[in-house]
Amino acid sequence: MKTQIGIGYRKDFAEEFMQDTILKPDFVEVAPENWMRIGGYWKKVFREVADKYPVFLHGLSLSIGSPDELDMEFLGNVKKFIKEYDIKIYSEHLSFNSCDNAHLYDLLPIPFREDAINHVSARIRQVQDFLEMPLAIENVSYYTPVAAEMSEQDFINAIIAESGCNMLLDVNNVYVNAFNHNYDAKKFIKDLPLEKVAYFHMAGHTQVEPDLIIDTHGENIIDPVYELFDYTTQLVQPVPVLLERDFNIPEFEQLQSEIENLRSIANKNLNKSNVTTKEHIQATV
Amino acid sequence: MLLQKSTYKQQSDLARFCRTGELEETVIVRPDRVGHYRRLVYNIVDDSLVSAFPLTNNILTEEQWDGLVDNFFSTHSCQSAQIWEMPKEFYQYFRDNESPLKEHYPYIIDLLLFEWMEIEVFMMEDEEFHEVSDEGDILTGILAINPEYRIISVSYPVHLMQAGEITAADKGDYYILIFRERDTGRVQFIDLSAVFVLIIENISKGLKLNDILPEIAHYLKLDSLEVLIENVKPFINMLKEKGFVLGFNRTESKKKQADATII
Repeated sequence: MKTQIGIGYRKDFAEEFMQDTILKPDFVEVAPENWMRIGGYWKKVFREVADKYPVFLHGLSLSIGSPDELDMEFLGNVKKFIKEYDIKIYSEHLSFNSCDNAHLYDLLPIPFREDAINHVSARIRQVQDFLEMPLAIENVSYYTPVAAEMSEQDFINAIIAESGCNMLLDVNNVYVNAFNHNYDAKKFIKDLPLEKVAYFHMAGHTQVEPDLIIDTHGENIIDPVYELFDYTTQLVQPVPVLLERDFNIPEFEQLQSEIENLRSIANKNLNKSNVTTKEHIQATV
Repeated sequence: MLLQKSTYKQQSDLARFCRTGELEETVIVRPDRVGHYRRLVYNIVDDSLVSAFPLTNNILTEEQWDGLVDNFFSTHSCQSAQIWEMPKEFYQYFRDNESPLKEHYPYIIDLLLFEWMEIEVFMMEDEEFHEVSDEGDILTGILAINPEYRIISVSYPVHLMQAGEITAADKGDYYILIFRERDTGRVQFIDLSAVFVLIIENISKGLKLNDILPEIAHYLKLDSLEVLIENVKPFINMLKEKGFVLGFNRTESKKKQADATII
């Protein structure tokens, strides 16, 4: 079994993507918010993509950490979309992007607190019950903690344990957070519930200040993040890996080169991990 | 709710800061970094609106545009979970609230609507297309029209003139047919008179021109039905060439006809 490497599918390169043969992902990932409840040109394009590649969903607006009630109408649309395209993985961010009945369209950090763990975990369970599938929750990059009463590590680990969800481990986000908040990225990864990791994200970032990196998805993956990925894939059973590139999109040759780098590292580390779970088997395409 | 009030307040204050730029002293964050959240959130909203309303953005000064976006985002609670729909809320907010820009640019609400409708028609969910026939008579057949359309009315000719050239003297009653080409998904705009709006609305109910036109002639107190018919025929042919009239319905929907009444 080889590791599946996918790419974040974007309208920016949709036409070339179907016509060109340079980019060879094993699957594509999309944000449901950009593709559900639409018709016309983009629906046709998406249908063609979905006929050719397995599609994974990576949501933006579920706002699992919001104090507001879950938007069940929105979730209903997500569920319909999942069924229509036979989607096997739905992931979301461990963050909030709506509050006081207003959407903000970006990911804000949840306070690392005990009550937030209980609140978010209950919401994750509610989502999983409604969708009748596990949710994979992503560790997000953050630039400031908000009224934190515990570490990010304890917060993430507790939510995964309490909610029973899978984890989308974004290796670049660990690197970014370790840099921004001055902790050891490898130790952070080693102390995660690695048996729950169902999916990896990899991306580039932008350093904007001497002590601050912003998770832009607008640059190539840098070597230290590849090294961290190498370390991580030795600890985790093979799961799908996604290359994210949202801005400053390069030539397809560059993206394919990054896909090959990820494939090479992941395949080199096949069978090195002794972590095996039912979730892995379910999540591996 | 499992969330304590103090935690909720921290989240609420951070969210409010992202919308307004005003940071409550009680929110516990790194002050040197929290500004990045306001910047990132605002840029996403601004980029989305610039992309949705390029013509409106183009006529306004940077200061006017920024003021508009800032006012909208800080005072309006965006409801759309899908960001491509958020510009509709921007149009509605501006339409429903006072702004000195409405005096400077009396056509600006029409322009925002016109720009939004292009997005809405381009993106809206697919409608069912029934089988049609090329064979039929324009007057006695049931015309099949493209179901993916909207008709809007505006007071200024934002679809006919460059926005910057429109003046108060251009005020009038304008109607625009906006539809999506079935094969390409491309959006087309057609300027309509009020009479043609009536005709299209009645065709959409499954009525035949033979039934529609006498009523309209009567309503308009026209002396000659023939003159109306001679004007309508080339209009229908033009709609057919452009892909709005698709042909003739293969089967007459009796129920549809029974339910329909001429406007």
